[in-house]
Amino acid sequence: MTDQSTTDPTKPAQRMRAGSMAIPLLPWCVAAVLLLVLPFIFTANSAITIMNQMAITIIFALAYNMLLGQGGMLSFGHAVYAGVGGFACVHIMNMDDFFASIPLPLLPIFGGLMGMGLATIVGSFSTRKAGTVFAMISLGVGELIAACSVIIVAFFGGEEGISGDRTYGMPFFGVEFLQQIEVYYLIAVWLMISAALMYLYSRTPLGRMANAVRDNPERAEFLGYSARWVRFYSFVASGFFAGIAGALFAINYEILTEENLNTTQSGIILLVTFLGGVGFFFGPILGAIVFTLVQTVLSLQTELWAFYLGIVFVVTVMFFPGGLAGIIMMHVPAMRLGKLGRLGVPYLKTLGAGMIGCFGAAALIEMTFHFRHASTGDHEMTIYWTTFDSHTVLPWIIAIAFTVFGFGVARRTAPDLVDAWNDANTPNGATQ
Amino acid sequence: MSAALELDGLKKSFGQTEIIRGVDLSIGKGERHAIIGPNGAGKSTLFNLITGRFPQTAGAIRLHGQDLAGKAPYEINRMGLSRSFQITNIFPKMTVFENVRCSLLWSMGYRYNFWSVVSRSRALTEGADSILEQINLTARRDLPAGVLSYAEQRALEIGITIAGGADVIMLDEPTAGMSHSETDYIVDLIRTVTTGKTLVMVEHDMGVVFGLADQISVLVYGEIIATGTPEDVRANPKVQEAYLGEALETH
Repeated sequence: MTDQSTTDPTKPAQRMRAGSMAIPLLPWCVAAVLLLVLPFIFTANSAITIMNQMAITIIFALAYNMLLGQGGMLSFGHAVYAGVGGFACVHIMNMDDFFASIPLPLLPIFGGLMGMGLATIVGSFSTRKAGTVFAMISLGVGELIAACSVIIVAFFGGEEGISGDRTYGMPFFGVEFLQQIEVYYLIAVWLMISAALMYLYSRTPLGRMANAVRDNPERAEFLGYSARWVRFYSFVASGFFAGIAGALFAINYEILTEENLNTTQSGIILLVTFLGGVGFFFGPILGAIVFTLVQTVLSLQTELWAFYLGIVFVVTVMFFPGGLAGIIMMHVPAMRLGKLGRLGVPYLKTLGAGMIGCFGAAALIEMTFHFRHASTGDHEMTIYWTTFDSHTVLPWIIAIAFTVFGFGVARRTAPDLVDAWNDANTPNGATQ
Repeated sequence: MSAALELDGLKKSFGQTEIIRGVDLSIGKGERHAIIGPNGAGKSTLFNLITGRFPQTAGAIRLHGQDLAGKAPYEINRMGLSRSFQITNIFPKMTVFENVRCSLLWSMGYRYNFWSVVSRSRALTEGADSILEQINLTARRDLPAGVLSYAEQRALEIGITIAGGADVIMLDEPTAGMSHSETDYIVDLIRTVTTGKTLVMVEHDMGVVFGLADQISVLVYGEIIATGTPEDVRANPKVQEAYLGEALETH
């Protein structure tokens, strides 16, 4: 610890204060530039579709994390706030005169207000308690509103849902949003606005108290704050941003159905948020990006994509409760010590081998699936750009060999990785 | 001296069991009042009644003359009463600094504000830092509160309790589970930070009680059997019989 003597140990507060006063602007600028240039890099229409979906999921996941990560409220029915916001926007699109008098980029505000209105009603009774009570009420209300979709046909359009046409809105500086790319920029702007507002919210007195209530509601009560009201306000704010996500969905797809409301959708957003990491603001962003990629790209490759996603989710919950963001932030201490580089080779060895093992295992799963479910006589299958007969022995031997080899090597090299990890996290000169 | 806190025929039953059986007590402004008594006498229950954690069965509690019946903990806190807990009760995942800052928010008028950014408020930052200075945790400022040592967490809890500027401070066994040197440290700390305030504390350590309190009440089986200065209480035969005799001999 000799190298620390250069800083004055009596004044750590003064040293840190300068850092904590400012809101870090750099990541936001990088994000804005990325959003601006991404369509020039990925020009394909399908890529823009994926990016739109991604951006919508990011907003929704961030809104969800206002509850889960920041407020400690586990909701099993948050899709309804996005869904209802979306439905409201489709209805506005179908109100010819009114819709013609508002520019499309303002439509998400109505979705947000609708989500917020519903959250105000539901939150007034669901936020009295956190924990199991809140989770159960959220599940019940979610099911209830999803069931309404076939009952209140006038609003939800029954099983086929309702659809609209975004281009009937008032032209916005001449833009009519016929092109996918125009919609992309509309969503991108709303993504920046929503994310910035949600970030700022987490820095306000109410946002800080949401954390406090999450950690220890009783102590918060003895500091003058009603835990219930703090939860309520978080819930309402989260409903607003979920509504915005729903509105952008309506603009992007021009159709909403029962699928936007149901428990599956609510489960997915929980999964996305947890996968990304609830402990950090940027966690849900990562989760939404990874999930959308898996959902869109991997689902083209295999029917079993949800199965793999399930495995990833279980592994995350069991071994990396901090999610992807947690994994990244785990490396900050080593980076501060300037010893991150020492992890490179051990990572390559263990994780590389682990990857080979995973590919082998995935091949086995795919082959088993093909063997069991392909139509009779269809013995030919293709994985990893290789076509072979799934009823012969050789492919199975190869796949098993890869699996055993990959996981075997990963296991053998794991202790080295642990040593390297400990070394990278120990300051120079300190004895272990 | 007008009363800061008044208990009037206070009773509390859990089912058939009467835990607090009619407590009358008046604690003056600026007084340091210790409540002592054997285990199970109802000291913590009394604390929980006063701070609104449990509703009373009968009787009245008045803070600066205002009745507290039916008030929630956060309402009582806003009226100027703050408490610590027997089991450390902080925000473990937030930093030490944030723990203190959160306890300043309401009293500095931020209420349920969602339009200003906390780190931009100089008053909040300086207020929290000055509390940290008082409880000697400045060096731990940016650590998660959960990783502090036990004594440091106790000090932080006292910091959180006093930060809001409440004029009645209630401490529930502030030195429980501490070593001798830690106890001395916390006692000094309590003495400094509660200067000019009304202090009500439950405490088992007689050294702490006699060193800190100007008034002592002895609670036995839900009733106060004696109230007075440390000397009076020490000399009271009823107290000696019930509780204090053996405790004093060991000191």
